[in-house]
Amino acid sequence: MMMANTIRPEPSTKTGERLLDVKGLTIEIETRNGPATIVDGIDLHVGKGETLGIVGESGCGKSLTMLSMMRLLPNKIRVTKGEANFAGRDLQTMSNSELRKVRGGDVGFIFQDPMTSLNPVMRIGQQLAEPLIYHRGMSKAQARKRAGELLRLVGIPGAEERLDAYPHELSGGMRQRVMIAIGLACNPQLLIADEPTTALDVTIQAQIVDLVKDLRDKLGMSVVWITHDLALIAGLVDRINVLYAGTVVEDAPVDALFANPSHPYTQGLLASIPKLSDERSIRLSSIGGTPPEPGRRPKGCPFAPRCPLVESICHDSVPSLEGLSQNGSHRVACFVAQRKLEAA
Amino acid sequence: MSVVPMTDTAVEIEPPVSLWRDAWHRLRRNKLAVFGLAVVVILAFTAVFGPYLTPYDFLSQDLNSRNLAPSLSHLFGTDDLGRDVFSRVVYGTRTAFLVAIVVTFIAVVIGVTLGALAGFFGGWLDRIVMWLTDMTMSIPNLLLVVVINASLKSPITSWMESRYLATLNPLYRETIWVDFLLVFGSMALISWPPYARLVRAQVLSIRSRPYITAAQALGLTNRIILMRYVVPNALGPLIVAVSAGLGTAMVLESAFSFLGVGVNPPTPSWGNMISDGLRVWQHYPHLLAAPAAVLGLASVAFSFLGDGLNDALNPRGAK
Ligand SMILES: Nc1ncnc2c1ncn2[C@@H]1O[C@H](COP(=O)(O)OP(=O)(O)O)[C@@H](O)[C@H]1O
Ligand code: SF4
Ligand SMILES: [Mg+2]
Repeated sequence: MMMANTIRPEPSTKTGERLLDVKGLTIEIETRNGPATIVDGIDLHVGKGETLGIVGESGCGKSLTMLSMMRLLPNKIRVTKGEANFAGRDLQTMSNSELRKVRGGDVGFIFQDPMTSLNPVMRIGQQLAEPLIYHRGMSKAQARKRAGELLRLVGIPGAEERLDAYPHELSGGMRQRVMIAIGLACNPQLLIADEPTTALDVTIQAQIVDLVKDLRDKLGMSVVWITHDLALIAGLVDRINVLYAGTVVEDAPVDALFANPSHPYTQGLLASIPKLSDERSIRLSSIGGTPPEPGRRPKGCPFAPRCPLVESICHDSVPSLEGLSQNGSHRVACFVAQRKLEAA
Repeated sequence: MSVVPMTDTAVEIEPPVSLWRDAWHRLRRNKLAVFGLAVVVILAFTAVFGPYLTPYDFLSQDLNSRNLAPSLSHLFGTDDLGRDVFSRVVYGTRTAFLVAIVVTFIAVVIGVTLGALAGFFGGWLDRIVMWLTDMTMSIPNLLLVVVINASLKSPITSWMESRYLATLNPLYRETIWVDFLLVFGSMALISWPPYARLVRAQVLSIRSRPYITAAQALGLTNRIILMRYVVPNALGPLIVAVSAGLGTAMVLESAFSFLGVGVNPPTPSWGNMISDGLRVWQHYPHLLAAPAAVLGLASVAFSFLGDGLNDALNPRGAK
């Protein structure tokens, strides 16, 4: 029922055609001791047809960055600086009604927890139909037909009968597929998947990754896949941004990142992936400590308190993201890594 | 290659059932809830049709057969005016439901409106509503009711009497409506705060659930999100509270009758029968036992039903 061998067009990163372009986005939270910075002037971009992986420990601000772009932040958390352009228009300043057209219509979301992200008292067929009726102006009957097709697309057995089911009647893996179907309902140009497999067991995780990969190739959309598991997405993404404490510390094509991880934090993340070839190696956490709490960010490099290579300059100034490779596709925010390159 | 992986470890193929049918299945498995439901249905039937089926009129006195013990001709015996207690208890069921339904309805309308507004808009509106709620709850219920009745009842009644004497309009002779008005009004006035709190808490907690963010991420409007995502999810606990509240209102009416501010004789209510019975219970225990037992049964039934609905309406508890 689906094509087997689509040749995926080359993503347009190199041509510089950016579908999503986030510049200097800063997010603050209201605390008892005044506002605290959670995300600090982050820059991100996703090309047309490109798949970007965003990696980082939990609490790095991955989810808030995505939510803030679409102005979905919870109370007391807000964007104080920066812009988020989608197809050339700033999402931060457009009107609410324009924004609603982008949400769900042009940008699909898949959330982390399939158990709580579906409305428990609404049949899944109706939850799928809602955006189709709203964004695509379909009739109820058309939307229901399309909802059935979408469930089949994401590999739910007995799709048509499932339309009348309530979320609690489905397993976690099935619910996550329903969420993917909802995210894809209006053929979005960009799909944002926020740790969509964290709640699932390992075999189903791999199935979901494969599923999104196939759907992406078929539908030709851009994808942002957020995870804290580098190994899971190695075969899916074109480029990876490593996030630490609300800033991008390394930005590289996926192969370059695995071949030549340059930021000490990236190196730590890679070292903590168990090597399948080595039976005895268990998940070794080579980075001690935890990311800084909001409001307790160090003055200099945010990674300094945990960094094995820390020098005195790291405590005083913040390293910026600088190109390592000639064409600037591999960038890193670390004084030591940048100096090594100059020395070489 | 197969594009769509077809395997999933937990594919339960069950026919889809609706949330309500599902809840009904779960309710039926709960013995206490079924008992509660059965009693409530029987009492409701009694309230509607009972007065037409009783062997005696609830008002007809037979001074030759006063204070009779229960027998076949008078199932619950007779009272000090020779009235059939069974017939009066049956009619009292109608009074109890009338009071409970009207009071709960008014209280729910006030409570849901204030609670939803407070939870949804927050800010100063929330503070005012919460202040009103706390105020109302901090005044002792019975005190409030006694004060209302003592200060309003006799002026209204005497006004109506004077209107009757002046106009001879029979509308003004029926002071029983004043009773109902004051009983309903004051009971509703003390009963709404729990509903307001419940609905406010529900709205607040639902507003921060992930599926609300997910609905916003789909670009749905606030109106659709409120009507299809927030309200239906708040409904379960409200239904439960209403069920329990009906029983509470019946008990409250008796407490008022005991204080002489309930539904007044000769209209039979369980409450005024109990308070009459309490005066002579050493000599004629059946005059107390019959209405008290029925009131107890009704109150327990509503609370069992409420608990059962609570479990049944929560699909996440489903196995
Ligand atoms: N609703 C919230 N209220 C208060 N703090 C929050 C909230 N959501 C996230 N945070 C804080 O913001 C930071 C980043 O959160 P998040 O974006 O969810 O991280 P990630 O998705 O990378 O795990 C964390 O330190 C977290 O404590
Ligand atoms: S800048 Fe300094 S502290 Fe920061 S990662 Fe590089 S070496 Fe470590
Ligand atoms: Mg997250």
